[in-house]
Amino acid sequence: MKRRIPLVICFGIGILMLAQFMIPHPISREFGSTVNKWYIVLAAFALVLAIGNLIRHHSTKIRRKKTDWPYSIVTLSGMVAMSIIGFAGGIDPDSLYQTIYLNVLAPLGSTMFALLAYYMASAAYRSFRARSLEATLLLAAAFIVMIGFMPFGQYISPRLPAFAEWIMKVPNMASQRGIMFGVAFGSIATALKIILGIERSWLGGKK
Amino acid sequence: MKWYEAISKIDRRIIYLCLTIFIILPFFVPFKLRQNIMPQTQQLFDFVESIPPRDKAVMISFDYTPQTMPECHPMAIALLKHCFARNIPVVGLSFDIQAPGLAVEALTTVVDELNHKASNHEDSLFYGKDYVYLGWKSGFTAAVLDMGESIAGVFPRDYFGHPVDSLPLMQKTRNYKDVAIAIVLSASAYPEYWVLYPQSRYGVKIGAGLTAVMAPKYYPFLQTGQFSGMMSGMKGAAEYEHLIVEKGYAEKLGRAETGMNSQSIVHLLIIIIIILGNIGFFFTRKDQKRS
Repeated sequence: MKRRIPLVICFGIGILMLAQFMIPHPISREFGSTVNKWYIVLAAFALVLAIGNLIRHHSTKIRRKKTDWPYSIVTLSGMVAMSIIGFAGGIDPDSLYQTIYLNVLAPLGSTMFALLAYYMASAAYRSFRARSLEATLLLAAAFIVMIGFMPFGQYISPRLPAFAEWIMKVPNMASQRGIMFGVAFGSIATALKIILGIERSWLGGKK
Repeated sequence: MKWYEAISKIDRRIIYLCLTIFIILPFFVPFKLRQNIMPQTQQLFDFVESIPPRDKAVMISFDYTPQTMPECHPMAIALLKHCFARNIPVVGLSFDIQAPGLAVEALTTVVDELNHKASNHEDSLFYGKDYVYLGWKSGFTAAVLDMGESIAGVFPRDYFGHPVDSLPLMQKTRNYKDVAIAIVLSASAYPEYWVLYPQSRYGVKIGAGLTAVMAPKYYPFLQTGQFSGMMSGMKGAAEYEHLIVEKGYAEKLGRAETGMNSQSIVHLLIIIIIILGNIGFFFTRKDQKRS
């Protein structure tokens, strides 16, 4: 029973949601809208679970003094402080919450991401070598696209930007479309398997 | 050590130092490079240009995070300037939890700048009448689908706590029928889902502003016409800045222009070091084969 009821709910809702997407009747739309609202509320509960999980994970780490536990104190204090500041002082454009967000979190996030440029440059220098025909083709395509999309490209040759655009619009698009089709067919097959109860790992991993 | 071994084993600290210098240089020694406008940026600009003033709203989904802010934030600023200059109302919203702070910052910056220049009450921009920011909502797919029925049903209150139904702009922007285009500024898969769900069901027009690394994935959507235009990376933002300046909607170029100068020089440096690495690699291989 524990397994059959979720399977029946999954099958019923799966078929109904599939049908309502195709049928533009007011009753079907109303049904779709109601289920969507349930989903929005459920998704918000997932956030509450995530917060609970975060607190539990980091408190355990601090209690047991696991590796890098002081960072867990920073995480938890940051979360508590921002919550208090947000609830007490509001989230308006001139609030303390927004000031901290823009002057602490935003620069930290940007800095972390900017470090990628250094790793990428170093990795490209060390590993981007024309070892085979495929690697040489990749290297040539990368050079053309990089130079073509740079403002310098048009000074080298006025045809270079158009050629770079052609690489993006023809070979790149063809491969992207192939990947998309593959992913789409895979998603449809997986969804059907879940709706029809063939794929049951979401129930707890047992067959 | 032979010369070709030396150029294939440059210390990473030297590369990091060169990179730092090349990134910083354009901020102190500004220069202007002519931007060749990509067709997809022009297409998005032309679409916004074709929207009649004071009619349907442009919906901007701010779904970028501080990590991708240097690429997406200038796009948001340029887009907002374009819409406000043409008296097109803007409805902002977010589905990425880190985005609201940046969305509020973009709106505040542009509105303050334009209101500072406004000579009278009519030229000024007002919250609720000319623009609205709805805030963040969980359950992305369900939310974007349900907005086709009612935006206020998904966002009963805006980011600042006002009832959405009480805002004049939202009284005339009930669902996607009242939206000229939804432009998604993102560094992830959000634009694809906007096409899959609300566009396939409600036919809403979609535009996108993406990080350069994401853009290649979205070319098929441009070719099929599912995207009505796209800005890709900092280059896309710089191009949009050029377009609005050319049309007289803004007086000067924004942050993407300076960023683009840094990026161009750094790309040049990366190309040079890759070429050096390959020259070293070829000569070393030749040497090894001989011995």
